[in-house]
Amino acid sequence: MGPVEHLHMSVFSQSFSPCGRFLAAGNNYGEIAVFSLSSALSPDATELSQTPILTFTAHEGPVFSLFSTDTHLLSAGNGEISAWSWAELIKRNTKAAWTRRPNYKSSLEIPEINAMTVNPTSVLQGHTDYIHCLSVREREGEILSGGEDGAVRIWDYRTGQSVHCIEVYKYEECARPQYGKWISCLTTESDWMLCGGGPSLSLWHLRSMSPTSIFPLSGCQRQANFYQDMILSVGEGQCVSHCLLGGEVKAQIPCTPHSLNTLALNLNSTDNRVLTVGGSSHQIDVFTNLSYRTFSLSF
Amino acid sequence: MGAVTDDEVIRKRLLIDGDGAGDDRRINVLLKSFTKWCNATGSPEEGFTQYQRMLGTLAQCEFSMGKTLLVYDMNLREMENYEKIYTDIEQNITSAHDKISECKKEIQRAKRIRKNRQEYDALAKVIQQHPDRHETLKQLEALDKELQQLSHIKENVEDKLELRKKQFHVLLSTIQELQQTLESKYDCSLCALLWQDGL
Repeated sequence: MGPVEHLHMSVFSQSFSPCGRFLAAGNNYGEIAVFSLSSALSPDATELSQTPILTFTAHEGPVFSLFSTDTHLLSAGNGEISAWSWAELIKRNTKAAWTRRPNYKSSLEIPEINAMTVNPTSVLQGHTDYIHCLSVREREGEILSGGEDGAVRIWDYRTGQSVHCIEVYKYEECARPQYGKWISCLTTESDWMLCGGGPSLSLWHLRSMSPTSIFPLSGCQRQANFYQDMILSVGEGQCVSHCLLGGEVKAQIPCTPHSLNTLALNLNSTDNRVLTVGGSSHQIDVFTNLSYRTFSLSF
Repeated sequence: MGAVTDDEVIRKRLLIDGDGAGDDRRINVLLKSFTKWCNATGSPEEGFTQYQRMLGTLAQCEFSMGKTLLVYDMNLREMENYEKIYTDIEQNITSAHDKISECKKEIQRAKRIRKNRQEYDALAKVIQQHPDRHETLKQLEALDKELQQLSHIKENVEDKLELRKKQFHVLLSTIQELQQTLESKYDCSLCALLWQDGL
């Protein structure tokens, strides 16, 4: 991997291992790199511990999405989904456990594993364009999906029917027609949902289906998460935005990549509780304290 | 081998003799002068002065021994003091750790409370945008009343319209009948009059 490729690399997806000690990141060349967090965070870390312990080519196209279950890492590229066993990856064995091709033409984002295992054969119809993001509400048994057509659809996965459809761009306070109507990030927590993309990042109350707060962030947000009493969001713009539920932006922490694609919080382990962000750079920033960037892992 | 042990001995002697090269030499000098005095062949005065000198040296040795003992005591007590301070500090550290974890729990609780409060505020904002329920109910009642009144008025007006229609109908039909009778009577009576005039 020459220096020119490094310059043009973008990190599209990240996922932490179930034990919390490793981070897998996927880039636009189809490679997945596994980093050892415990050695990068230990007091005697060196330059070498900030490079991957294992890099392998997983797909021909970019790895747009990574997801970890209790034992496996699922990766999605152009049209195919592969599963890798974490135990094998830690032993540096890069043989895929299985590879499947769902009958779409090209897949972009990966569903939460529940959706895949619970009904691998049912197809939820309703979106008219690409689906960019998915989220699962286990308690109510619902899947939410947001896509290019600007609609957030809520499906009941037991019946496979669309329960609700929210067209975010039709709400004046959220819509930003100069960016478009696509929804690129979606996340839920109990009764609340965050969605953003073309329209501004907004917080919705799902019981009343009404937008409660709009966040004044310029640029399109690509991923957002609830964390304790805050909302962390990344997107176009060289920073991680911390917002309060009321709609104000509390802080914007600068990072190395110029535009960020993915944000991941390691809540699986107590020792390596970090936030990692990746974007249009070969470096992945690691935050041990949310207020500042601690160091960067390098592809 | 002998050289090494000599070095060790010298090192140890140098270490022990910390009082500025005095005590050890003094004891040696005392021993030598004692043996010399025992084998003394000179006059009694000299012997006596030597004896006094030896007593003086002995007193000096005793004095320095007393001092060393006191220093030793002091060191022991200092050690105890340090031990005590050490245990105190350890206790403080553990209690500080406990306090830190308590505070962390508190912070988590406070964050959750803040989150709930913010969710509440956000919902309240949305709710405020909708009009008050009482007012809407009152408006609905007023509208209901108006509706009733207007329908009353409409009924009245319709009744009157019916009545007038009927009255007009009666009037028109009587006019028509009269017209008919007039036409028929008019013909007969006119004929009768003309016949009378003609006769």
